[in-house]
Amino acid sequence: MDLQFLTKWVGELDEENVICFLNEFIDDTPSESDAQEVVAACQEGMAEVGELFEKGEYFVGDLIFAGELLTEAIELLKPVLGSDDSTKVGSIVLGTVHGDLHDIGKNIFRSMVEAAGFEVIDIGIDQPVSAFVSKVKEIKPDIVGMSGVLTLALEAMKDTVEGLQEAGLRDSVKIIIGGNPVTKESCAHIGADDFTNNAAEGVKICKEWIK
Amino acid sequence: MENIENTRGIKELQVERKENIQAVYDNLVPRRVPINVSLGLDIVAEYAGIDRRESLWDPLLVESAADELCDRIFSDVCVYGGKIHMPSYYQAMGSKNCVMSSTGFMQHPNTVGLLAEEYDDFINNPFDCIIEKVLPRNYKDLNFLEDPARSMFTIAQAMMAKNKNMAKTVGMIRRLTEKYGYPVNEPGTGGGVYAPMDILTDNLRSFSGMSSDIRRVPSKVKEAVEALYPLNYKVGIPPKITNYGNVFFPLHMPTFMREKDFSTLWWPTWFRQVNDYASMGLHSRVFCEHDWMRYLDYIQDLPTDTRIQFEYGDAKKIKEKLGNKFILTCLFPLSVLTTCTKQECIDKTKEFIDIMAPGGKFIFGFDKSSLVLSDINIENLVAVCETVRDYGVYSNPGDKAGLSFHKEDYKHSEVKPFESKYYRTFEEYKRQNPETPEMAKNTVMELEDAIVSFIYSLCQ
Ligand code: B12
Repeated sequence: MDLQFLTKWVGELDEENVICFLNEFIDDTPSESDAQEVVAACQEGMAEVGELFEKGEYFVGDLIFAGELLTEAIELLKPVLGSDDSTKVGSIVLGTVHGDLHDIGKNIFRSMVEAAGFEVIDIGIDQPVSAFVSKVKEIKPDIVGMSGVLTLALEAMKDTVEGLQEAGLRDSVKIIIGGNPVTKESCAHIGADDFTNNAAEGVKICKEWIK
Repeated sequence: MENIENTRGIKELQVERKENIQAVYDNLVPRRVPINVSLGLDIVAEYAGIDRRESLWDPLLVESAADELCDRIFSDVCVYGGKIHMPSYYQAMGSKNCVMSSTGFMQHPNTVGLLAEEYDDFINNPFDCIIEKVLPRNYKDLNFLEDPARSMFTIAQAMMAKNKNMAKTVGMIRRLTEKYGYPVNEPGTGGGVYAPMDILTDNLRSFSGMSSDIRRVPSKVKEAVEALYPLNYKVGIPPKITNYGNVFFPLHMPTFMREKDFSTLWWPTWFRQVNDYASMGLHSRVFCEHDWMRYLDYIQDLPTDTRIQFEYGDAKKIKEKLGNKFILTCLFPLSVLTTCTKQECIDKTKEFIDIMAPGGKFIFGFDKSSLVLSDINIENLVAVCETVRDYGVYSNPGDKAGLSFHKEDYKHSEVKPFESKYYRTFEEYKRQNPETPEMAKNTVMELEDAIVSFIYSLCQ
């Protein structure tokens, strides 16, 4: 089997070929390690999607579709994958901050960063400071990701960082914020470690932190 | 502000503001750059120290705060902007696509009102499909087929609540308008509607659903936006068309699409709508949300004097490319107010005016509507508005500004009549009520059309 093709098709968001390939693969009753390799090839394809997005050849709609395609692929592979998930490179507690109900951007980032090997604990939308604090206490993640689309999210992000600070958790995590209204200035005001309006860049930042 | 009031009097200021803005619409250089800055209900309530949730139930609670803000901030529209999404009607309908956040802010979560497998139903008749499939999914208490009585009561309550809220808001704005001399828009000259593919996306297929449809079933998407056209076209047209009124289109999807999909799926029906309207002398006001720089060539083909509002982008390029043909507005970053000192705000405003104002066809506004008090710094906002007023002065008012608009330059397309089994035409009405004179048509159809517009508004 030639996994290069699979990677290429995922990168091109060629759903038909990806699904066809995976169905044939499963029909051959593959081993778990073969299946892991296939997953890795899909993830590489996702990285290509991220590259194309950063180059301005793909747009948010393509990222959403890529996330969908990857989920579909993993669903297909599940029966042969087993439960070995020891290969996580790092962990992220991710959520949309209180006051904001938007999650499209958050979900895009989640699927891309998962594809890059992170374990993501997604706590959902409109999450109070206490929800972030207790999840961070429980999971002890490497990174906290906060998302928001409306400008009202900015103060909520600041509250959340302060909440983590008060709970004595701030220094044990890196914090990244994302979404339409975040800027360099607001990042400084909020006290996050980094910011982005671009999920692919967010993935790079997280990888850099884990190195 | 004070001295303006003293020296000229409110009535005079009102006339002056009106002439100034109308000059822009008449393709003339105005005396000074008109200022379109207003604050919504949420932010005014916060300023007043009133619980946001309470203000949503009674906007009159914020009237004195709104008054104070009108006094402090110089704008050429009423500084109080009101609000459209209110719990009194959304909650009455059991809305799932417009709900309140934990901080009392009404929002649209990502909901799916129309399933991918329902495209054919939608294409067959969009309005029927909205009533039968979309509304029950997005509104718990609007299930006309299964619970018709409750659904009828619910919709009556919601329409009444909306009208009541509107009456309160309009009353408040009228009082402030009289007191502060804002120009009065002729009633019935404004409309608002979405681009066909955006209305199909926002709360029907959803952003995520549509992103897959574009790749999986593009031909269905195309058929669906075309099927939607008669409804969309109808809803946008205001009762009265004047050179000063307009139809507002907030544009959502394009910057998240590839150009190839945009040019085949999104653009054609919307371009058609704007052109149809132009041929009737009806101007469009379009909000290019997010960053439209890669689409400037398309925008350039829009009818002359389309009013174009930008969020992000390169001001210089936009002015250079579009400034002679269109009336440009917004683009000035709201974030400047909270990240810059007062002096920096003033300097940035001047810089921006130097780019955007020359030659006219420009109205000042921000890139985003402000939602919470922390989005703005009032002192800086006051300074920015006063800088526009005092610095944005033209030396050649009354000169011709740029290209002029002639409705004869545009051709109206052939539009199929709007039809639905839930829509009663005047012919049908007359068959049932043969003694109805022709002059009653407007009254009869206004009531019927109010329902259509309301149902449409539930999809946004
Ligand atoms: C689509 C849209 C809508 C849709 C929302 C559909 C939905 N349920 O999601 C609809 C039509 C319903 C809508 C309604 C309204 N909207 Co709206 N809307 C937009 C629009 C055009 C796009 C937002 C969006 O979804 N972007 C796509 C996502 C994927 O982008 P993103 O969140 O930035 O995410 C990317 C990155 O930032 C990153 N990312 C995101 N999160 C995270 C997290 C981490 C950790 C990392 C690393 C990365 C990351 O990944 C993503 C991919 O790169 C924006 C304009 C804009 N400039 O964005 C206005 C905008 C958000 N809306 C606005 C407004 C005012 C409204 C309304 C209040 C309008 C009204 N008066 O009715 C209503 C109600 C509020 C609401 N949104 O619910 C304003 C908000 C102004 C403000 N002060 O914040 C905006 C900015 C438009 C404007 N210029 O005024 N809206």
